[in-house]
Amino acid sequence: MDTPLREPTYLILTALAGEPMHGYGLIGEVAALSDGRVSLRPGTLYGALDRLVDAGLVQVDREEVVDGRLRRYYRLSPDGAGTLSAETERMRRNVEAATTRLRRRAASSAGSTARLAGGLA
Amino acid sequence: MTELERRYLRLLWAYPAAYRRARGAEIVGTYLDLAAPGRRWPAPADALDLARGGLAARLRAAGATDLLPGVRLAAVLAFLAATALAAHWMVPELRPARPEYGLQQVGPFASLGAVVWAAWLAAALGQTLAPRRYARPLLWAAVLATALVVPVSAVTGLSRPPLFVVLPQLVLGVIALGLPPRVPHRARVVPLAVAVLVVVFTQTAVPRIGPIVGYRDVWNFQAPVAVGTVLLLAAVAAALRPGRRWDFRGGWALLILLTPIGLLNLHELAQLGQRNPDWATLAATAVAVSLLGPGLLLAALSARLQAAPQQPTPPCPTCGSSR
Repeated sequence: MDTPLREPTYLILTALAGEPMHGYGLIGEVAALSDGRVSLRPGTLYGALDRLVDAGLVQVDREEVVDGRLRRYYRLSPDGAGTLSAETERMRRNVEAATTRLRRRAASSAGSTARLAGGLA
Repeated sequence: MTELERRYLRLLWAYPAAYRRARGAEIVGTYLDLAAPGRRWPAPADALDLARGGLAARLRAAGATDLLPGVRLAAVLAFLAATALAAHWMVPELRPARPEYGLQQVGPFASLGAVVWAAWLAAALGQTLAPRRYARPLLWAAVLATALVVPVSAVTGLSRPPLFVVLPQLVLGVIALGLPPRVPHRARVVPLAVAVLVVVFTQTAVPRIGPIVGYRDVWNFQAPVAVGTVLLLAAVAAALRPGRRWDFRGGWALLILLTPIGLLNLHELAQLGQRNPDWATLAATAVAVSLLGPGLLLAALSARLQAAPQQPTPPCPTCGSSR
């Protein structure tokens, strides 16, 4: 599987990190994780799940029939957990780097404003 | 079985038969879980989602998983080329030919083309600034305006841009409809930047080269050639970029873009057969390009489907047995 992961793929793996889920549950969980920004449709979701199963990142956990409808549960495989962990670490480092630089920038602009104010006074 | 379930099952025909057997009940079950109570028909977006998913599953089963990324790459390049051309053609629209040329103006503009180019510039603005739900309709509106400009002109008698301008724009627009649904934030700025750069260049540099006298100004004949050449170089560069085994997305993009590239260089291609090509030669060349480009793409696709390793019939996702 190509890295960095695309956002929907990352969110599917994140949703499955908690517990095995079926398609309907995954769609709701991905929407909740992204504050409603990423809304997967079943055709797209199952295409992504096919690729993740092929790549060995996701496995089928079990099947249930509820109200006459087939529900297949998926779980994160050990390889999937490793990929999610590595991708999260990569993103965490990026976030830390950006946060540090933004803080430094805010501090330096606050300093220059103070100097300017002092100079005018 | 409810009517809604039956209708969703009918939409599953987009998928290969083996895939339907392995996954059909699960996909339809999820749609039914999501459907509001009392719903009787699948939403148009559901039909589109299943058609797209079915196409992807068929390509995957045939071992051509790189075709869709190739379509997306071609769409990005086509959209940038269409934006650049729209920005360029807006300038002659704002500076119509002098009355002695006998061309009928449309208000302050040279022709109906002003509406078309404005629609394309709005689409570029939409890709850069608007949320996804507005960006896609704006793109469709631009393509539709391009397709309608010739019949509207025929009905109303109002001036329109020449066919050598409209035809490649329409083909580029149809290819651009394959733009990926999600574009990275940095890349979203590019279409607007291209439009601004082209307008500034045409407004400032071109008058020094010569006055713009409508679409048939000598300099304007060079604009499609220039854009076509840049498009060809970009597509060739993408095609030559080393990829993984069985990943020829750049090659697909090049094959898809051959038709608009040929149409942008129509005059040059027609000159191969006739030094000063007349309308009939130009029309024959346009027909040849429009047949040859898609023909090459289909031939390459057919060769690829025969050569690529086929995906085995999908096994049951639960027990792993082949059905």
